Amino acid sequence: MITSPVKLWRRQKSASSLIGKKGKILHWTIIRVPAKSFVDQAPYPVVIVKVQNGENMIGQLVDWQKEDLKVGQDVVCVLRRLRTEERESIIYYNIKFKPL
Amino acid sequence: MSGIVSYGTYIPKYRLRLSSIAQMWGKDSDEIEAGLRMVEKAVSGFDEDAVTMGIEAGKKAIELAEIKSGELESVYFGSESHPYAVKPSSTSVAQYLGVGNNYFAADLEFACKAATAGMQVSSALLNSKVIKYGLVIGSDAAQGKPHDALEYTAASAACAYILGNNKNEIIAEILEMSSFSSDTPDFWRRDGARYPSHFGRFTGEPAYFTHVMGAAKNLFAKSKLKPSDFDFCVFHMPNGKFPRVVGKKLGFTSEQLAPSLIVDKIGNPYSASSLMGLACVLDVAKPKQKIFFVSYGSGAGSDGFIFETTEKLLKRQKKIIPVLEQIEDKIYISYPEYLKHTHAI
Amino acid sequence: MKISILGTATTKFGELWNISPRALAKEAMISALDASGLKAHQIDALFVGNMLSGILGNQANLGSLLVEELGVNIPAFRIEGACASGGLALHNAVNSLKAYQYRTALVLGIEKMTDHSQDEITNALMAAGSDEERLAGATFPGVYALMAQAYMQKYKVTEEDLAAVSVKNHYHGTLNSKAQFQFEVSISDVMKSSKIADPLKLLDCSPISDGAAAVVITSDENSKKIKNNVYIAASEVATDTLSLHDRKSFTSLESVVKASNNAYKKTGIKPKDIDVSEIHDCFSISEAIATEDLGFSEKGEGAIDIAKGKRTLFKGDIICNPSGGLKACGHPVGATGIKQIVEITEQLRGEAGKRQVEKAKIGLTHNVGGSGTVAAIHILRS
Repeated sequence: MITSPVKLWRRQKSASSLIGKKGKILHWTIIRVPAKSFVDQAPYPVVIVKVQNGENMIGQLVDWQKEDLKVGQDVVCVLRRLRTEERESIIYYNIKFKPL
Repeated sequence: MSGIVSYGTYIPKYRLRLSSIAQMWGKDSDEIEAGLRMVEKAVSGFDEDAVTMGIEAGKKAIELAEIKSGELESVYFGSESHPYAVKPSSTSVAQYLGVGNNYFAADLEFACKAATAGMQVSSALLNSKVIKYGLVIGSDAAQGKPHDALEYTAASAACAYILGNNKNEIIAEILEMSSFSSDTPDFWRRDGARYPSHFGRFTGEPAYFTHVMGAAKNLFAKSKLKPSDFDFCVFHMPNGKFPRVVGKKLGFTSEQLAPSLIVDKIGNPYSASSLMGLACVLDVAKPKQKIFFVSYGSGAGSDGFIFETTEKLLKRQKKIIPVLEQIEDKIYISYPEYLKHTHAI
Repeated sequence: MKISILGTATTKFGELWNISPRALAKEAMISALDASGLKAHQIDALFVGNMLSGILGNQANLGSLLVEELGVNIPAFRIEGACASGGLALHNAVNSLKAYQYRTALVLGIEKMTDHSQDEITNALMAAGSDEERLAGATFPGVYALMAQAYMQKYKVTEEDLAAVSVKNHYHGTLNSKAQFQFEVSISDVMKSSKIADPLKLLDCSPISDGAAAVVITSDENSKKIKNNVYIAASEVATDTLSLHDRKSFTSLESVVKASNNAYKKTGIKPKDIDVSEIHDCFSISEAIATEDLGFSEKGEGAIDIAKGKRTLFKGDIICNPSGGLKACGHPVGATGIKQIVEITEQLRGEAGKRQVEKAKIGLTHNVGGSGTVAAIHILRS
C-alpha cells in the first residue's frame, strides 16, 4: 500500500492545516472485512464528514462508541498513525476523525 | 529570566482498571491497588504514539499562549517511546504544528526526565536571549511487559510547555534549577527490545529516592528556602506511593503534594508524569505561589525547578480545561482490548 | 453505419482453479470466433477489458499477450476503467469501427481473481477508488455501504427492501448454466448473512470470480454471417469524480444518468421501451439506484419496485439481470461488461432458453466502474 516516504512528506502541509478542524458526520459505515493493510484494525468505522471549510472528507473514525455513529455527530480532525507498519518501513501519519 | 508562558496536556481516552490486570494474572487487586495507590491507568489508542499525542498537547499550548506556531524557536521532545530509533520526533511534531524551518530541535532520552532536561536547555537559550519562545514536550506511550509489575503503572499521555523570556507573558517564572545525576542501572531498555527491564526494589532507595532527594537538596541549598516556603510540591510519580514517601521525607505536607498526584487516576506516563503533575498544580494555583518540582529519570538523574506563579496565570486559567476535567472523558477497556491497543496481539 | 454482433461467448463464471488466465481468455475468444463463423486472421483488431492483471498478476501488455494466444499479430489494446473495463473496451471497439479504422473487431472481457488472497483482492479493488478512500481504510463494500446508508435514510427504505435484489438475481441465476451460483436465496438468508460493511451483508455483495466473455462486432452490413441481426444502437460513456464524498449526490450516479440520457437521446428510445437490461449490481444498493438513474423507476422507488417483482423474469415489465447479474452470475471484473452484451444479444435473438424474456426487442447494458466514476451504457436492438 502507501509506503512511500515521499508521499507522506508531500501530504504534511494539508494534514497540518486540518488538525483541530471540526466537522459533522454525513454518513457512516463499519468496515468488517478490511483491505490487507488494515486487517488488524477491523472492525472500524469509516465516515464521510462535512468539514468546517465546507468540503467533504472521508476518513476513519477513532476513539468511538456506538452512539457516535449517527448523522450529524460532531467530530474533530486528529493526526494518527495510519496502520501497523512492517518493522522497517516508514511510519505513515494520516488525518482521522474523533467524536466530540 | 525565563519561565512558563503556557502549557497543554493530552491524555488518551482509554482506561484499563488495575483490577482487570490483576484478574488476568490471578493476583489480589485490592492488595495491588493499595500498594501502588492507583486504580486505573491511561492507555493510548491503537493508532496513537508519542508523536501524535505530543502534537495534541503542543497544539493546546500554542493556542493557550496566543502565539503563532512560527514564533517558536526551539522544539525539544523527550520520550522513551520515540516512534523511531533514528529519525527525530521533534521535527515531526514541529512540522505538523506548523513551526516552519527556523528552530533548534532535538530529541531527548533520559527515561522519565527527558522532557525536564529539555526545559533546562530551553531555559538556558531563553536566559541568554538566543530564542524568544521554546516548546518542550514530554510524551510517552509507555509499555510494561505482560505479567510484570510495571504493567500496572506504565501509561500514556503527553504534556507540552511553551517557555518564554518576556516578563509580561510568563505565568510561572523559573527561579532556580538543579540536577543530580549518576550512573545507576535501575531500569533500562536495550535497542530493539520491546519492553523495558528493571531491577525490582533497586529502583527505590538507590535510584528514585537518592536522585530526587539529591536534586531537592541542591535546590534548597541554592535558594536558601525551606519546605514551608512553598505552596506546592511536585515529584515524578512512578506509582502513587513513591511521591508521597519522598514528599514526607523532604519535609512537605500532604496538602502541598495532593494537587499534583495525577498518578492515582492515570498511572505513570513516563516523560509526561512530573510535567502532568505540574500542569495539575498550574490549573489551580494562585499568583505569587512557589512550586517545588523534582523529576526523575532512571539510569539515573533528577531535575529540580523552583517556579513562582505570576498574575498572568489567572488569565490563562480562565481558558484552560483543567487536567482533572479532561481525564473524565474516558472509556474503559478490557485486558484483551488493552493487548490489541498496545500491539501485543 | 450499423454495427452488428456476429458472435458471442462466455466461459463459466466462478472459482475456476484449474483454468489459467490465458486458457480462460482463449476459451472465450475461440468460442466467440466460432459462433461468428470467423477465423482469428479475419479479425482486424482485438480490444481487451481487464482491471487487475497488472495489479495482482504483475502482467501488463495484455493486448499483445492475448493475440499471441490467438496466433495472430493484429492490433490489440487493453482498456481499463475498473469494473467498467468491459463496457469501455466495447465502446472503443465501436468507435474504431465508426472511424473506418477497422471493420470487424473481437472484444474480450477477462478477469482471473481467485489466484490471490481475499486481503490482496480487497486491496487491489480499491485501486478503483481514490487515495483518500484508501487512506481512510475504506473498501469497495464500504464505499457502497455509505451510499446505502444515504439512500436508506433519504427514502426510508429498509435492508429487507434491498435484499430483494439478491433474491431476484439468485432466482435468475438458477436459470443460467454459466452462473457462479445456481441456488436461490431468501430475504431471511440475506438478512442473516454476515456483515461486510454495515449495512451491506455477504449476500448483498457480488462475489470474487474468474471468467471471460467475448463478442465479435462488425460494420460490414452485408456480412452473411449475421443471423437474427442484433446491432448496437448506442454506446455512451460518462465520468464523475473519483471519490464518493466529492459527488453532488450520494444516492444517484450522475455518470449513469448522463451516459444513459445521451443513449436515449441519440436513439429516440425511452426508458419504458427497454424490454430487458443487464445492470451492474456489484452490491444490492447498486441495482436499486441504477434502475432509478436509468429511468426505469422513480427516485426512491428502485428497491421497492424490485421487491414488488417489476424487474423479475416472467413477472415484471422491464426485466433486470436475467443472467443473474453480478450477484449470482459472478463478477470477474473486466469480463462483466462483455458478459452483459452477450446476455442481451441472446435475449434479443430469442436464444436465451429458460431465461428468455418474451418478445425482447430492445435491450440495455449498464456497466459501472469504481463507485460510479465511469459508466458505459449500451443499447442493443434486433
